[in-house]
Amino acid sequence: MIDNFFEVKNVDFVAGGKIKVRNVSFKIEKEGDVICLLGPSGIGKTTVLRTIAGLEEIQNGHIKLKNKIISSKDKNVEPENRNISLAFQENSLFPHYTVEKNILLGYEKNKGKKDQQISFKEIVDLLDIEQILNQYPHQISAGEAQRAALARSLLTQPDLLLLDEPLSNVDQNFKEEIQVKLKNILKSLKITTIIVTHDSYEAFYLGSKCGIILNEELKQFDDPYKVYHLPNSIEVVNFLNRGVLIPAKVTSPKSLESNDLGTITGNFTKPFPVGTDVKLLIQPEDLQHDDHSNLKLEVVDTKFRGTSFIYTLKTLSNTLIPVFVHSHHIHQHEVDEKFGIKRPIHIEHLVCF
Amino acid sequence: MTKKINIWFFLSLLISVFVCIPILTVFSSFFESTSNYYEILKDTFLIEYILNSLTLLFSVLILTFLIGTGTACLVSFYKFPFSNFFKWALILSFAVPPYIYAYSLTAFFDNYGTAFTILTNLFGEGDYNKNIPKFNGMLGATLSMTFSLFAYVYILSRASFLYQSQNLIDLGKNLGFSKFKSFYSIILPAARPAIVAGLSLVAMETLAEFGAVDFFSINTLTTGIYNSWIAFDDLAFANRIASFLLLFIFSLFIIENLSRKKAKYHFNIKGGFKQKEKIKLYGSKSFFAFIFCFSIFFISFLFPLSQMLYWTIKFPENLLDLQILTLFLNTLYLALLSSLVLIIFSLLSNYGNRVTNNKILNLLSTLSISGYAIPGVILAVAFITFIAWFDDTIIKSLGLLSVKKIFIGSILGLVLVYFIRFYSLAFNGIKSGYEKINIAVDESAYLLGYSKRKTFIDIHVPFLRNSLLFIIILISLEIIRELPITLILRPFNFETFATTAYISASEDLLEAAAVPSLFLILIASIFIIIASKYILREKND
Repeated sequence: MIDNFFEVKNVDFVAGGKIKVRNVSFKIEKEGDVICLLGPSGIGKTTVLRTIAGLEEIQNGHIKLKNKIISSKDKNVEPENRNISLAFQENSLFPHYTVEKNILLGYEKNKGKKDQQISFKEIVDLLDIEQILNQYPHQISAGEAQRAALARSLLTQPDLLLLDEPLSNVDQNFKEEIQVKLKNILKSLKITTIIVTHDSYEAFYLGSKCGIILNEELKQFDDPYKVYHLPNSIEVVNFLNRGVLIPAKVTSPKSLESNDLGTITGNFTKPFPVGTDVKLLIQPEDLQHDDHSNLKLEVVDTKFRGTSFIYTLKTLSNTLIPVFVHSHHIHQHEVDEKFGIKRPIHIEHLVCF
Repeated sequence: MTKKINIWFFLSLLISVFVCIPILTVFSSFFESTSNYYEILKDTFLIEYILNSLTLLFSVLILTFLIGTGTACLVSFYKFPFSNFFKWALILSFAVPPYIYAYSLTAFFDNYGTAFTILTNLFGEGDYNKNIPKFNGMLGATLSMTFSLFAYVYILSRASFLYQSQNLIDLGKNLGFSKFKSFYSIILPAARPAIVAGLSLVAMETLAEFGAVDFFSINTLTTGIYNSWIAFDDLAFANRIASFLLLFIFSLFIIENLSRKKAKYHFNIKGGFKQKEKIKLYGSKSFFAFIFCFSIFFISFLFPLSQMLYWTIKFPENLLDLQILTLFLNTLYLALLSSLVLIIFSLLSNYGNRVTNNKILNLLSTLSISGYAIPGVILAVAFITFIAWFDDTIIKSLGLLSVKKIFIGSILGLVLVYFIRFYSLAFNGIKSGYEKINIAVDESAYLLGYSKRKTFIDIHVPFLRNSLLFIIILISLEIIRELPITLILRPFNFETFATTAYISASEDLLEAAAVPSLFLILIASIFIIIASKYILREKND
């Protein structure tokens, strides 16, 4: 009986003699789950993948796959002996083989190990790489190379698939299509996967769990909904760029008072004693527009986002607050105009720090 | 990959340490006591040695710069009759080592030489000798080295000119520069690192040259080392001069390395590169461009080749006297055996450096590739010094039989010293091939279940195949031309084309030197023609 399919416990991830991410613990409970690791560039996300793949060693903690330790201070299973596949962000295709031969190497590795659940042709069709099969890696674009490497990794049908920014070089207009296909493949093949990305929307779409790596720590490891709506630290808020923090005082177990917005009601995500000065997270969708409201703030900027407008409003204390308005809203507000906020203000989750 | 002290690390370490031995030997001998020869020489000829070396160095540098960049500029920027032919024909001058060029110069211009014969045939008997210029001494040595070595500057500056974007030239036009101003204020400075790199190679070869200076009896530091060892049996003093020469050469080596690093800027062009359009020359301009390139091609290659061919035909008995097949096999045997040994060990060492990525190993590798900067004479002397020390101190103290004969005057010794001398060619050649393989490729292989050995054999070696072939050709070419190491360390009665030519010439039997010289030029030319495909690799050209 497997407790957790994959587990990282108290591990410092090190690259080039420097600790990149400290004391990391997380687990993947079921085979076939997909998790995403998010974080800014250079934070150590790739180091985490390389270490899990066995390309870097660890000095503390352990990494377990299918209940067996594959990395610890005393043990390091060689990369070739772990059934883990890593699709690198940069071109890692063998330069002297055609794309087809490169992909077939993945197929060969898997031969005889598992029942083949997906054919070479299926994977080629899914990733739309048929036209480059006879070409050499130097003859194709970075996006095509990335898809070919992804195909090779998928064909190995590993116990654990690691994808490092798998779609970073794929054209924007093709990206969403590939994301859908990738999600379907991973689900149908039941391949347990860890995806590293800096694109939060990609992570929220693909992952059943998301980890946020910031300042050498795994700050939050949670469901995408919780990471998005209930960030657990100011660093996560700032990283996801999810709104602004305004000063407020807790006035009851279900309300607080802000100098800028007045009384705000809702459910605290964690309890605070009455009278505590806190910082309340205001996200763009938390406030609603109301032209008849007596709470009016000055518009300092408007951003058109296709389906919505995001107005940036200035409060009396000069704090800038984003407010989301559907783009089919009856009329627009220009810069310097007054913008009404519906009262009483009720925010379902009161995220305070 | 995990950095470990493993078998690959020790292999690389061993190879690098071995190649460093002569450098350490030379410097460690610096403080040893020397014979009276040192005192005599210090008061008499030492200054002359240094001055001669410097005069030769600067004359050759100026001339190779003018000829190398001049021809490179013409074939890179202009179209004129046979410009495509000259593009590769000019590198054939590599097939003629300076000492063979020296023999040709003397054979042609000397009293009653070929020039005299031509004039006599054309104009009848006459006292032409006093009117035929003589290219002896310093002038002869300078010309021999210039025409034999200018191709280093030609190849590197041509590559640099070739990869200069049309945008750069258009920029000059846009700024209102004349063609001449564009050349010296934009094109030449942009190619400067490549030109400096070429000149540094010329400088190292000039300071290391033995055959030509010995033939013209010019006392330089290199001949000083040879004489102090051969004539005065003073190895310590030979090493002392060698230390001075090495320090000087290392300075050049550092300059060359620094400029080569900068030169990368000209080669790593991706995007924004606009292929240059060659300008078609007409009328007198086209004629002068053709004449200039043809003259250089003629003087540097056709002239020595014809001279050697003429004498071979004129004195056919020399052809019959020599055991051509034996010489051919000896030359080829040495070249191919050494190339193979070099390739195998350089591959192992490069792979060791790659998988361990150890700083000490990287430093040692950098030091070990400096063997190319050390003149063959010094290497040979340092090798003998080391073997003598090893035999006297270690082998004898263990009560074992002497190993001197195994290493000195043997094929093994010869291959070992060639190994040290040409290790940088093999190591750097493979390294530049390896730089094209992303480290993620190795890691992907491991993750696909490949062991390190399988990755090396199935991924690296096939990818490097073309580079390896090119390096084998390049090393073979160097070994075919090499003289001092072969001369000093070859087994008794084992001759190559180079040593046979040298021995005949040093016995004043120049016409006998013609046959081995001719064969040497022909074999080297074949190797150059095969290698030219790689040397002259061009984009859309």
